[in-house]
Amino acid sequence: MSGLGSWVARRLLLGCVQTVAVVLLVFGLTEALPGDAAVALAGDQPDPARIAALREAMELDRPAHERFADWAAGLPRGDLGHSLASGRPVSSYLSGAFGPSLLLAALTVVPLVPLGVGLGVLAARFEDRWVDRLVSAVTLGVYAVPEFALGVLLVTVFALRLDWLPPTAVGYGTDLLGHPAALVLPVLVLLARPVCSLSRLVRAGMIDALASPYVAQARRYGIPDARVRYAHALPNAVAPAAQQLARTVDWLLCGVIVVEALFVIPGLGTVLMDAVAERDVPVVQGLAVVFGVVTVVLNLGADLVAHRFAPRTEVAA
Amino acid sequence: MRGLPSARFALGAALVCVPLVIALAGPLFAGEPGPRAASFTAGGGHWLGTDFVGRDVVRQVLLGGRSVVLVALSATALAYLVAVPLGLVCALTRRHWLEEVLMRPLDVLLAVPSLLMILLAAAAFPPGATGLALLVALVNIPDAARVVRASAAEAASRPAVEALRMQGESWWRTAVGHVGRSVARPLCADAGVRLTGALYLVATAAFLGIGVAPDAADWAVMVDRNRTGLFVQPWAVVVPALLVVALTTGCNLLVDAALGARRGTSRPGAARDVLASDQVKERRL
Repeated sequence: MSGLGSWVARRLLLGCVQTVAVVLLVFGLTEALPGDAAVALAGDQPDPARIAALREAMELDRPAHERFADWAAGLPRGDLGHSLASGRPVSSYLSGAFGPSLLLAALTVVPLVPLGVGLGVLAARFEDRWVDRLVSAVTLGVYAVPEFALGVLLVTVFALRLDWLPPTAVGYGTDLLGHPAALVLPVLVLLARPVCSLSRLVRAGMIDALASPYVAQARRYGIPDARVRYAHALPNAVAPAAQQLARTVDWLLCGVIVVEALFVIPGLGTVLMDAVAERDVPVVQGLAVVFGVVTVVLNLGADLVAHRFAPRTEVAA
Repeated sequence: MRGLPSARFALGAALVCVPLVIALAGPLFAGEPGPRAASFTAGGGHWLGTDFVGRDVVRQVLLGGRSVVLVALSATALAYLVAVPLGLVCALTRRHWLEEVLMRPLDVLLAVPSLLMILLAAAAFPPGATGLALLVALVNIPDAARVVRASAAEAASRPAVEALRMQGESWWRTAVGHVGRSVARPLCADAGVRLTGALYLVATAAFLGIGVAPDAADWAVMVDRNRTGLFVQPWAVVVPALLVVALTTGCNLLVDAALGARRGTSRPGAARDVLASDQVKERRL
């Protein structure tokens, strides 16, 4: 048990170091701007008044370590600084846009597990038959497709040709739950890649498990085939996929950025892209810290859960 | 499982062929820009109509693949240019602290999602095509270095390396001549997976307007900019989107078929191979 304890301690320490590194990296960005940061950010409109305003807003007259200390001390309190463009606190951007993004992520995660595991089990059940070939080829192919291309094609077919669903969420604001039809395509696009990765893992794990000695032994005992499949093989096939599942949640965060841009959903991704376009550095920094820390925490959780399952995966492999 | 990898290989090759030929040879046949017509018109001498500023869509499609393919290819090459020496040094050094100093920061970088890193950097320094290639290479380095280190460490623990050392061969000859050569095969496999990831990332970044001019001839930019006219003139969006889909799908099928042929398909441990190759891809986003 002490081995487990020290492993957990080391993993927690890595998580803390990663969090600190994300914060440092995000802050270091403005310091890395060439020359005077205010002049660099003013970019296309280099009039002296704007540069002076930027300099004051970012407190560029103070030394970097003081600014970092202030900024980092504000983070745990939820004080992420103020936007350069509007002067509003960054946290107000976050709280306004948090809902739609969370809704999208939640709606994607719920059907993800049944769909991914179901497809994987189906393919493994009919290994080498046409069902398996079809599922394997489609999941492999769709896996690499960027969300924007898939999304635009789905919009063309379902919104334009068939007129079943609205093409974007324009006009619905943050009240997305009131217009469920507008959510169908975004969630489908977000689901595509995670489902593919999950089902490929479950299929491979299931085929491994079904070829293992303990399954052969269970069959020799005369245990019914369905029970061998679903009570003995499946849990071991799902174990390696569990860790992967949590990892897919972290790139779901990034898929959300693309899907929000594509379907014009006013979530965190839209705020981030607007801020990147306006070079509103404090807003980008605040969002990057939030996204980065969420990713670190999710991966930490995933590793802890997967470590709990580790002995079983070794049995399966 | 027999027959399946070759079928997949053929399908992948067929899918990848069309966009790749258009991307590489298209600019040669694009010809001179014609006079600008009205935005989003169909017909009128334009096979696929016109785009959001009235340019011929066929010409834009012919021009628009080169940037995606070249940026992704050069980003993959650049990533290995840094990752291979880094991984080899880490695997071969006998100074433990050096390995820690070189690899630990990379572990930390792996924690940040790639697209987020690219957006973060793009907010401070709006990049051009070269900048985008550098950024995509940068986010690929940590993982590539880990793969190089892992396969080189395996090769470096072989008796042959021990014999080379005892014979007094130079570090350079051991590292490049023996270990470097023996990691070439696993690296080729990894490079295919990484190229698929780079294509995904480059296209996605371009769609979000990173590293490209707002009116650039680029398939991803075309999808983004012509979306406003989707209802009037869908071809300006559908054709480049289909080409991106064919390119990425075909590339992935091709790489998987090549990997499958190399490792044999349904031997035990397949789950770990899928996990390993997918994890590489997962980290790309």
